[in-house]
Amino acid sequence: MAIIETRRPYHYALEALKYIVLVIFALTTLLPFVNLIAKSLSGEAAVISGRVGLWPLDPTIQTYRYVLQGHTFFSAFKVSVIITVLGGLAAVVVTAMSAYPLSRTTFRGRKGFLYMWIFIMLFNGGMVPNYMLYRYLGLMDSYWCLILPHLVSVYNMLLIKNYFETLPDSLEEAARIDGANNMRVLFQIILPISLPMLATITLFYAVAYWNDYFTARMYISSLNKRPLQLYLYDLINNALQIMNDGMNTGSVNADDLMNLTPESVRAAAITLSTIPILLLYPQLQKYFVTGIVVGSVKG
Amino acid sequence: MNNPLTNVASGPDAAPEGIILVSTNRLRPRRSSFRSYFRKNYDMYLLLVPGLIYAVVFKLLPLLGISIAFVDYNMFAGSNPIQAILKSEFVGWHNFVRVFRKTEFLQALRNTFIISFMKIGCVFPLPIVFALIIHSVSAMRFKKVVQTIIYLPHFFSWVVVSGIFMSILSSTGIVNTVLQNWGLTKEPVLFFMDQKIFRWLLVFTDAWKEVGWSTIVYLAALTGVDQELYEAAVIDGARRFQQLIYITLPSILSTIILMLVLRVGSIMDAGFGQILVMYNPTVYKVADIIQTYVYRIGLGKMDFSLGTAVGLFNSVVALVLVLGTNLASRRLTGKSVW
Repeated sequence: MAIIETRRPYHYALEALKYIVLVIFALTTLLPFVNLIAKSLSGEAAVISGRVGLWPLDPTIQTYRYVLQGHTFFSAFKVSVIITVLGGLAAVVVTAMSAYPLSRTTFRGRKGFLYMWIFIMLFNGGMVPNYMLYRYLGLMDSYWCLILPHLVSVYNMLLIKNYFETLPDSLEEAARIDGANNMRVLFQIILPISLPMLATITLFYAVAYWNDYFTARMYISSLNKRPLQLYLYDLINNALQIMNDGMNTGSVNADDLMNLTPESVRAAAITLSTIPILLLYPQLQKYFVTGIVVGSVKG
Repeated sequence: MNNPLTNVASGPDAAPEGIILVSTNRLRPRRSSFRSYFRKNYDMYLLLVPGLIYAVVFKLLPLLGISIAFVDYNMFAGSNPIQAILKSEFVGWHNFVRVFRKTEFLQALRNTFIISFMKIGCVFPLPIVFALIIHSVSAMRFKKVVQTIIYLPHFFSWVVVSGIFMSILSSTGIVNTVLQNWGLTKEPVLFFMDQKIFRWLLVFTDAWKEVGWSTIVYLAALTGVDQELYEAAVIDGARRFQQLIYITLPSILSTIILMLVLRVGSIMDAGFGQILVMYNPTVYKVADIIQTYVYRIGLGKMDFSLGTAVGLFNSVVALVLVLGTNLASRRLTGKSVW
């Protein structure tokens, strides 16, 4: 913005204030996380006495060794990766397939289907009927019930539909004259040119699957089928007990436990669980911002 | 199907403008019959099948379960839920009457509104302010870094966010250490256990997780403001503050109203995902909201009828609110969600 104006004395103060406010905001966001990491790397005495600030004291990686030692973390991690990858891909395919016919104004029954989806978005049977249905369908305690219930988010479908509507008709006309049917038009012309949008939506779904905790808490009872978020929740709330169990059953060496506190174990597990998000973050940020902006422009 | 002529003949719907003359159907005022349309475009309906199966099984079938709210549900009455519902005694509105007599429910209803309004009052304005500040900062590098940092917590689950705050707010956490060192408290403050503090903790963690992310919508709106308006204003001698009041704010007002309307429309959700993870029995009194109540009563205590009734009440109120606020938005700003 090339705005020239007379510089008043308070102008510089105001300018400085803006930067200060933003720095405080950024630090407020960042410091709790930094403290968590520092704690996960600190020795027992420092953690218990509450001296750990932003830098690890008596640095140790024993907490990480402990978390990674049993196979519970890895097993939960694996479940989450599988759910996220399978769920994300399946969801985006089904969502795009549902969105395409609704984006064609000539499609007969378009209004009806659209209203059905909007109704679904706005009204639901509630927790109890869902629970009973899944139990009746035999989905309890299976990976299916972590994936299937979130297969189509109507909001995401509307985003894709709106995006398809912005594509020029001329793209498919040529193919249609060559005799391509609707499915070929979708899979060979529309989807390939929509890849950035589809990537955005895939990431929307993937993050939702990765972070989903409630579904697992409702429907998963076997310990070895727990996804990462549920494992974390249990660990955060019962770290001490879980550690004791590990010692009693001999799956964890008692000596290893001597220098550990539940707090630093929690911190280590939480830090580990965020690594995939942190690794993907540059991509996430890029695509998510696009998705949000596209969605809001359309709104 | 592969003949361009027949394709064109499918009528005004499918005919591309250029070759309409070839079509004889075009002369007929009537749309081609649905049957012939379906024959030529059956694959469009095939595309819908997976989504429809999902919708019917996971979204529409549970609606049948709503009837549980009107019976005294006995799960052993039949071999499957439908039979059990049919064989259970019909009690009309009894479950709703029952629930409105429960102090726990009324408490949850109150908490839902209190927490929602606290969040709207404290959290809603923040992204607007921060977006204005970020937008007005000219140092691109600095801006990028700040944005990268403040968007991050949005991608953490509530389990992770709750874990982070439990860690820094624990009795041996950094916050309590600082408070005690500065002599502000003698005993460590138990943030997660204190009925006076807990709601504010919910508000703060909600802000921590989502405020940065919510700036995006406003930043997009700010980028869309016509730059010539500012140039004209500067020529007219408008100061920074006047530009803000007379150009910037009016330009993003419709976005602000739309976001507010959406937020008000979802009052019934005071943050289920968040509260379910963060709360504990010591703060039920101030933090139990309708959905957590449904979860505990309906699934924890297995009172299916009561749980369904409360869930239905919640869904209906939420639906009315969303429809109402969406209508308001259309009237006020011309924008609506669908």
